[in-house]
Amino acid sequence: MANQKVTYNKKTRKLMIHETVTSYLFLLPFLLFFAGFVIYPMFMCLFTSFFDATMGREDIFIGFDNYKTLFNDPVFWKALWNTLIIVVVSVPVTCAFSLWVASVISKMHVAATSAFRCIFYLPVVTGSVAVTMVWKWMFNNYYGIFNYIGTSTGMLEKNINWLGDERFALACIILILLTTSVGQPIVLYVSALDNVDRSLVEAAEVDGATQMQAFWKIKWPQMMPTTLYILVITTINSFQCFALIQLLTSGGPNNSTMTIMYYIYYNAFKLYKYGYGNAMGVILALVIAALSAVQFKLGQEK
Amino acid sequence: MKKLIALALALIMVMSLGACTVTNTESTTAATDGKTPETTGTGDTTAAAAPAEISLWTYPIGKWGDQETVNELLANFNAAYPNIKVNVEYLTYQDGDDKVNTAIEGNAAPDLIMEGPERLVANWGAKGKMVDLSDLWTEETKADIEANNASVAAACKWSDGAYYEYPLCMTTHCMAINKTVFEQAGAMQYIDEETHTWTTENFLKAVQAVYDAGHKDVGAIYCSGQGGDQGTRAIINNMYNGTFTNADFTGYTINTPENIKALEALVAQDGINFDPAINGGEEITLFRNGTLQMAFCWNIAQQLNSDNGEAGHTNNGDEIMFMAFPSDDNAPELCGGIWGFGVFNNGDDAKIEAAKTFIKFMCDEDPATAVKASTYFPVKASVTGVYAGEDSEAVMNEYAKLSTYLGAYYQVVPGWATARTEWWNMLQKIGSGEDVATAVATFDTNANAAAAG
Repeated sequence: MANQKVTYNKKTRKLMIHETVTSYLFLLPFLLFFAGFVIYPMFMCLFTSFFDATMGREDIFIGFDNYKTLFNDPVFWKALWNTLIIVVVSVPVTCAFSLWVASVISKMHVAATSAFRCIFYLPVVTGSVAVTMVWKWMFNNYYGIFNYIGTSTGMLEKNINWLGDERFALACIILILLTTSVGQPIVLYVSALDNVDRSLVEAAEVDGATQMQAFWKIKWPQMMPTTLYILVITTINSFQCFALIQLLTSGGPNNSTMTIMYYIYYNAFKLYKYGYGNAMGVILALVIAALSAVQFKLGQEK
Repeated sequence: MKKLIALALALIMVMSLGACTVTNTESTTAATDGKTPETTGTGDTTAAAAPAEISLWTYPIGKWGDQETVNELLANFNAAYPNIKVNVEYLTYQDGDDKVNTAIEGNAAPDLIMEGPERLVANWGAKGKMVDLSDLWTEETKADIEANNASVAAACKWSDGAYYEYPLCMTTHCMAINKTVFEQAGAMQYIDEETHTWTTENFLKAVQAVYDAGHKDVGAIYCSGQGGDQGTRAIINNMYNGTFTNADFTGYTINTPENIKALEALVAQDGINFDPAINGGEEITLFRNGTLQMAFCWNIAQQLNSDNGEAGHTNNGDEIMFMAFPSDDNAPELCGGIWGFGVFNNGDDAKIEAAKTFIKFMCDEDPATAVKASTYFPVKASVTGVYAGEDSEAVMNEYAKLSTYLGAYYQVVPGWATARTEWWNMLQKIGSGEDVATAVATFDTNANAAAAG
C-alpha cells in the first residue's frame, strides 16, 4: 500500500509544477538575502579562520594554527570564562524573574497588566546606547547616584569605581544586561500564562490542588515551549554581549569584563587579526550551537 | 487563476528587487545632478580638471567634522573645480577606524581621507593601501613646511620613502589646569604663567596643594581605552625625560628608569587616580564640570570650545589655563598633532588625480580657509594671519608659545595599534596595584614584538 505509485493526470501535474515554482519564487528573495548575508559570511568566517588574515598583507594558509594559538591565549580563556559567568548568572535569573513578574501581573486587571508590560518592555525598545549611558552615569566613580546614595547613607566609606574595579565591573555588566533582557521574556510569559487552559486549572483546584501545585503541574508544562524559546534567546543574547562592554569598559579593567564577542571585535578591528577573530567566531558559534541543542533536548524531554 | 496571480506576484517581487537597484542608482544620479547642475557637460569650467566624483572621509578635526563648514569649503573648491564632485562622510574617533578598515577589506575604501600620520602613514600607508603623494611634496613645499617645523615632513613619510600624507594643519597636545582652583589652593606659585611651564617637582607640589585644599580628585590617569592616550603618554614621558620610542622610531622605550620613576611618582601622589573607567574624552568632561582640577588630554580646540559655556572656562565659570607637561629640566617635549590628507589607492587614476587636485586646493591654493576650519595652526610658514581679527586671535597667539616645545612625531613607529592597546592595559594593571616595573616590562615585550613584526 505504502509503495503504491500515485499517478496524476497531465493537468494535475502541470498545476503541481506551477505550485512548486510559485512557492520557490516566493521564497527566492529571502533565500537570496539569506545566502548572501548569512550563509556566505558563515562560510567565509570558517574559511578565513584557517588563514593568517591580517590587513596589509596576503592571506597565508596556516591550517589550525589560529585554533592552537587560541587555546594558548590566556585572554581568550578569561573572555570565555567571563562569558560563561554572564550566561550562567543572567539566563536563569532572567527566566526566573520574568516568570515571577509575569505571574504577578497576569493576575492583575487588564489595564494594569498592559501598563506593567509596557514598563518592563521599555528598556528593550529604548536605544541600547541611551540605556547604557544612563547606567554609566549611575555607576560613575565621581558623581554617580550609587556612590551618592552609598556614601550619604553611610553604606560606603568612600566612592567605589564600579566599572573601574575588577571586583565589581562584571557584576555591574550583568546587572545592566538583566534590566535590558527581561522585557521580552515577561511579555512572552504573560501571553503564555493567558493561553494556559483555564478548565484544567479549575479542575485541579476543585480536586484540592494548591496554587503552587496547579502552577507546577498544569501551567508550567504548558508554558514549556515558551520557556525553551526564552532560554535559547537569552542564552544567545548573553553569549553575544558586546555593546555594553564596548560602551562601558572596553573589556577592562585588566580583562575582567572581556567577553568572547568583544575579544573577537578587538582582534579583528583593533589589531586587524581577521583570521584569529574568525577562529574565535567559529568556536563561539560551536559553543552556542551545542548549548542550544542541549536546551532543546532537555525541553523536549520535559 | 489563483496560481497564475500568485506566480505573477512572485515575479513582481523578484523583479522589484532589480527595479529597486535601478531606482536607487537613478536617484543618486539625480541628486548628484541636482547639487551641481552646471558641473557636467558644460565645458565651461574654471579650472581644467577631468570630471570625477570622489569620496572624502574626514575625522572630526576641528570643524572639518562639521557639515556646514565643510559644505562651505566644498563650495569654494567647486567654484574653482566644478568638474569634481566630492561626497563627504563624517567619521568619529569612536568608530571611524572600524568603518575605514571594513571599507578597505570590502574594497570600498574612500578616495580621500583626512587624518594624521599615525593612521595615514604608519597604518594604511605602511600596509600599501595609500597612494604615494611625493609629487605634491615639491622642494618649495618642503622648505615652507620645514621652515615652520622640521619634524612634520618626516612624520608624513614612511620608511619606504613615500609620502602618504600631505599635511594641512598641526598643533601641540598639552594639559590644562583649573586656574581658579589652583589660585584658591595657592598652587599657582609652582607655575610659570608666562611660558605655561612647570618642573616635575613643582607639578607634584601643586597637585598636593590642590589635594590638601579639599579636592580629592585632582587629576586622572585615564585608561579605559586608547582615546586621548597621547595625554597619558606625555605626562609620563615628560616627568623625568623618558621617551616612548627610540630616535629612529623603530622600537618602544618605555621600559626605562625614567618612565618607571614617573609612573611610581604618579601612583604615590595624592589626588592622582589611575581610572580604568574613563577615557580622554570623559576626562575632559570631568575637568569641565569641575570634578577634576586638571586634564591631561587638551589642545587648542578644547581651549576654544564653547559648547557648555564661555571658551576657556569650566562649566561653572572657572578659568582654564593650558599648560605644557611638567619636566624635571623645564624643557617639555609635547606630542604633536599633524592633520592632512591621504589618498587611497582604489586603482582609478582619474579619481586619484581628482583627489590630488582637492588636496592641492585645500593645502596650497586656499590653505588659510581650510586651516581655519581645523581650528589648529598651519603647517606652512608662509601661511600667516589665519586667525587675524578673529575672537580667538589672542588665545591662538598665546597657544602658539607651546609650539616651541613640539617634540618628535613618534606615532609612526611600527606596531602602533598593538602598542596603544598595550599602553592602556599597562596603566590598568598599574592602577590595580601591579608592580610598575613588571607591568612596564610586559608592555615592553608585547609592544616591541609588534614593532618587530
